[in-house]
Amino acid sequence: VRGPRFRKLKIGAGHRLDVKASGVFVLGIGHGNKLFTELYNCHLTKVYTVGGLFGKATDDFSDTGNLVEKTTFDHITREKLERILAVIQGTNQKALLMYSNIDMKTQEAYELAVKGLIRPMGKSPPIITAVRCLRFALPEFQLEIHCLHETQQYLRKMVHEIGLELKSSAVCTHVRRIRDGVFTVDDALPRTQWNLQSIQEAIWNCQLKVETE
Amino acid sequence: AGPPSTRQLREAEEAAPVFQYAGKAARRKDRVFVWGFSYSGALGVPSFVRPDAGWKKPRRIQPTPYRLETEEKITSAACGYGFTLLASNTRDITKVWGMGLNKDSQLGFQRSRRDQTKSYEYVLEPSPIPLPLEKPQQTRVLQVSCGRAHSLVLTDSEGVFTMGNNSYGQCGRKVVEDEIYSGSHLIHQLKEFDSRVVQVVCGQDHSLFRTKKGTIYACGWGADGQTGLGHYNITCVPTKLHGDIAGVNIIQVSSYGDCCLAVSDEGDVFGWGNSEYLQLASVTENTQVNVPRHLPFKIGKIKEAACGGTGNVVLTEEGNVFVWGYGILGKGPNLTETAVPEMIPPSLFGWSDFSPDIRVAHVRCGLSQFAALTNRGELFVWGKNLRGCLGTGRMEDQYFPWRVTVPGEVVDVACGVDHMVSMVRSF
Repeated sequence: VRGPRFRKLKIGAGHRLDVKASGVFVLGIGHGNKLFTELYNCHLTKVYTVGGLFGKATDDFSDTGNLVEKTTFDHITREKLERILAVIQGTNQKALLMYSNIDMKTQEAYELAVKGLIRPMGKSPPIITAVRCLRFALPEFQLEIHCLHETQQYLRKMVHEIGLELKSSAVCTHVRRIRDGVFTVDDALPRTQWNLQSIQEAIWNCQLKVETE
Repeated sequence: AGPPSTRQLREAEEAAPVFQYAGKAARRKDRVFVWGFSYSGALGVPSFVRPDAGWKKPRRIQPTPYRLETEEKITSAACGYGFTLLASNTRDITKVWGMGLNKDSQLGFQRSRRDQTKSYEYVLEPSPIPLPLEKPQQTRVLQVSCGRAHSLVLTDSEGVFTMGNNSYGQCGRKVVEDEIYSGSHLIHQLKEFDSRVVQVVCGQDHSLFRTKKGTIYACGWGADGQTGLGHYNITCVPTKLHGDIAGVNIIQVSSYGDCCLAVSDEGDVFGWGNSEYLQLASVTENTQVNVPRHLPFKIGKIKEAACGGTGNVVLTEEGNVFVWGYGILGKGPNLTETAVPEMIPPSLFGWSDFSPDIRVAHVRCGLSQFAALTNRGELFVWGKNLRGCLGTGRMEDQYFPWRVTVPGEVVDVACGVDHMVSMVRSF
């Protein structure tokens, strides 16, 4: 009997990724779609590298939008940026504890807080668990952001707000997801490898990871 | 005609004006934030107690940090039992401001506008305190400290000034029978110490002075042994302490209730005073210790100590925080009392694999609250949330360290019974 092996494929997508962003995008094929609900309930953090540029402000917070304002940025130093990042982490840490809906007065809340395992298990606004500055070369800079329940537009808005806090303005040049739960860039297939053979190998390699979760 | 082409957009962008919000010489400003119970006037915001518009309601509690406008840069602040002192190390004539309760003249004589001979009993706004200085335009105020109903002001060349209640000799002068403290003009000056005084600390009804040579002097109430002089009577004149600290160079002393702790330059901690809450139970079963005793804790070299009403906290050289005593100690609701110091895990202060260089830099104590400052300028508080004094925005007690969101880098914090004051540098 001849004919193509697969006639219809059911493909489902994992966490949303914008048109302008890039990076790891989890897809499920056929029976794998059923694992997606469990993936959502795990509430694992996703890691992004976000690149930004000081001196401009646009209406959609990225460098391709309509210009709103231009500002000076020569007073910005790496130290000031890191201070702002520390404050962002602090406020988000508080939000993490508040949205987790655990009663703060119990001993078990204390134990979880010590281990750092408190996280919101239901719906919540975007929360950033950790931020770090990777590169700083005026006017551009790069950040690594670990977050939960976010959208890429929220990350771009975050870059814009960092610019405002530093008494200047900033736009986001690129957003790249490097980790989605357990899947990292190493497991992901680049465009050149979008053929059946590599897909099968990749699924085989990831099966172990999916099972442990 | 038609949508602008890429070249037109680029030209428009280049021609757009550039705004400058902060130049190269932009300086970080120093600010003061207050929070807690406001009806005593201790927060220094009169509109909380007496609103300026008829429809506004008075604000009894300020649950989150509120900025206080001050004329000068404040370098030292202290919270007493319902009142606050702010001091600046300027050379101008006005160096110290006070607000809050003034029923025992702990804020000096505040001339009332309605009756020139009487003094205000509640001061709602930071009001200057006139000090009888010999050289008012040269002396600088280094530090202030407040107790239950008395306050101490430390200057660099003219000794220590004390004011307020003296019924136990805590102001360093003889107790006068039936003295009326309210509306008193008397500010006493203390100069006879073996060397220059570098730190002053007020307990509830006693005062401690630390000199440059590393000795400690005490005066005031001694019924719990908090003066450390070997007896349980009151002392009217600052007297030198002996016991285990004789000959030891003390670098820091702390007290707020009836227990006292001192840290030596070698990292040892000594304690005396009230021990009903197991604060000194590691050396003795007595509930009152009237001679300084060395506390043999094997937790490393100690850098700083702070005493609260029922609980104590120390900070070691590595940046670890240890608590012991009674009450909400910061390790969850199950730990209410311990005689041996327990460490609070650094992950609660923001330490993680991502930011491994976060360290606690200072620890402070209120009556039943604790505060810790990290080297990144973040403020963590825990303890009993009496009338909103923790500043977290919630009214419940906090059983483990919780961040207080302050718009700036916190440089120092002073804790009182039901309010707190912090000095913050803006970003």
